[in-house]
Amino acid sequence: MELVVFGLASAGALAGGIGVIASRPPVRSALSLLLVLGSLAIMYLLLAAQFIAALQVIIYAGAIVVLFLFVIMLLHMRSGEGRVEKLRWQGPVSYVLAGLFLAALLYAIWTGAGPHMAEPAPGFGTAESVGRSLFTKFLLPFEVASIVLLVGIIAAVVVGRPLAPP
Amino acid sequence: MSASDLWSIVPELWLAGLAIFLLLVDLLTARKSLVGVVAVMGLLLSIIPIGSLLTQGARTVIFGSYAVDGFAVFFKILTVIATALVVLAAIDWLPGRSQYEGEFYALLVFTALGLVLMAASTDIILLALSIEFVSLTSYVLAGYLKGDVKSNEAGVKYFLYGAAASAVMLFGFSILYGLTGSTNLYEIARRVANAPLPALYLSIALMLSGFGFKISMVPFHQWTPDVYEGAPTPVAAYLSVASKAAGFAALVRMLMVVVDPGRLNWILLIAVLSAVSMTLGNLLALPQRNIKRMLAYSSISHAGFLLIGVAAFRGDFGTPGLLIYLLGYMFTQLGAFFVAALIGQQLGTDDIPDYAGLSRRAPVSALLMAVFMLSLTGFPPTSVFIGKFYVLAGAIDNGLLWLAIVGVVNSVISLYYYAGVIRAMYVMPAASTVPLREPAALQVALGIAGLGTLLIGLYPQPIIDLARSAVLLLRI
Repeated sequence: MELVVFGLASAGALAGGIGVIASRPPVRSALSLLLVLGSLAIMYLLLAAQFIAALQVIIYAGAIVVLFLFVIMLLHMRSGEGRVEKLRWQGPVSYVLAGLFLAALLYAIWTGAGPHMAEPAPGFGTAESVGRSLFTKFLLPFEVASIVLLVGIIAAVVVGRPLAPP
Repeated sequence: MSASDLWSIVPELWLAGLAIFLLLVDLLTARKSLVGVVAVMGLLLSIIPIGSLLTQGARTVIFGSYAVDGFAVFFKILTVIATALVVLAAIDWLPGRSQYEGEFYALLVFTALGLVLMAASTDIILLALSIEFVSLTSYVLAGYLKGDVKSNEAGVKYFLYGAAASAVMLFGFSILYGLTGSTNLYEIARRVANAPLPALYLSIALMLSGFGFKISMVPFHQWTPDVYEGAPTPVAAYLSVASKAAGFAALVRMLMVVVDPGRLNWILLIAVLSAVSMTLGNLLALPQRNIKRMLAYSSISHAGFLLIGVAAFRGDFGTPGLLIYLLGYMFTQLGAFFVAALIGQQLGTDDIPDYAGLSRRAPVSALLMAVFMLSLTGFPPTSVFIGKFYVLAGAIDNGLLWLAIVGVVNSVISLYYYAGVIRAMYVMPAASTVPLREPAALQVALGIAGLGTLLIGLYPQPIIDLARSAVLLLRI
């Protein structure tokens, strides 16, 4: 049963991933991303990390993809048109390199899986353990993240405001 | 966590508070140079809490996620000095070019905070966050001149390269976490010996792309000339010095704490990357006419030199040499960029042939530029000479004689293009003899850079002692 669900979820994630990079209209890419994120949420559930699965659906699928769609709607009135392919030899080379990278990854997984892998602590991925580690072990990263967000806002104001007329 | 943990991160809290305070000052005053002056004073004051850390023992604080050791303190000092100098230079350079002057200084101080965090992180989540932090502000600073097409190009290019490099690096981090089940560097170091080698190699290779991007190491260097050319000159100076130094700090901490216990042969990898960076950077710098592009390629080649210090980390010379090199290079490279900023502002050009006759039009700046160029080549008695001497000694000490020879050959090659600038300034006839105006704050920044370059070259002992103590404390 678990294997069937895993197979479906990973097939969905792969299909979505290909959809993100292969589809021409940006809207379709964004919706394919939704498929990827949804499938990942199922995988988190399989790994008994319910809270992370819920966060994945709420934050990524809920907020971020919706934001993407809004941006596409606002900016890209004529979506997917007028794209001129300027890359010639880079295309095939990138396929070869990506293939090599895939081979390296598969080899690493093949030789890497084994009993040395660390077991997650009991209760890993529940709301309680996430909250606890967020306010103890990861307190500093948590606070730094809030400063990064503040800086992001300032940066967005600087970048986003149009130039004043001279 | 205890209250003493909070005392140990007072420098970081101070920098965060200073940046927010600068935003408030910017809101209240119409004289934007005041914001810059407040920034410089605040940065100088932060030396006090940083210095008080020097006397304390090495340890990690806040649940082991943050290092308080000599290594981190060294990079705090370096970052604060570099930021203060860049702010000083920008006070004269920026007015009239951007309507967001106050935010510029605040963003620089925020970047300094990110760099300080990057050099002291002992948790890969904090490390990833601080690298993102620095990248975010750097993208914006590189594209700060919104009306300037080249600056826009620099910002976008830096962003695209940086986002890709960060993503790859995070993938490497995630593999490392998967292999060891911990995000804490010291915890990972304890478990990494049991990890399978292929996966570990893959993880290191992926992580190197992120660090390599920050230090502009070949083959992750392509962004460097375009970004340095387009970015505001003080920002280019900052990226080539502070961002590179923090990248080296993170790389060294990662390699020595985490990777070294893992039975990997990483030294050869770093040595080869170092040789390639030195040679390629130098050869590409030879035909450059634009001073900022030339300095960009030379910074790639200096990244190669600094990597010698990383590869030759055993013994008494390699890592101290790296730190001395970084400090000396900071003064010299900042100075060279400040002269470029001055000329760019006064003459409106960045082309080296336009530096003709500078020795008569701006004698002080020309003399300092000559000193910086000689220092970048590695002539005694200048700061980069001491750094080069130490890293080359480290290479020989570690049995990497071939790398030392590549380094010496590259120093000789680099003389050609550095001397080209001196030749233009002192030998070529001037197009006009009108003396150039040399703005006050920029002159002060230039003077400090020149003084640092010469002082470290003439009397390096205190810096050597500082670097030695910084290295001793690295491994807790």
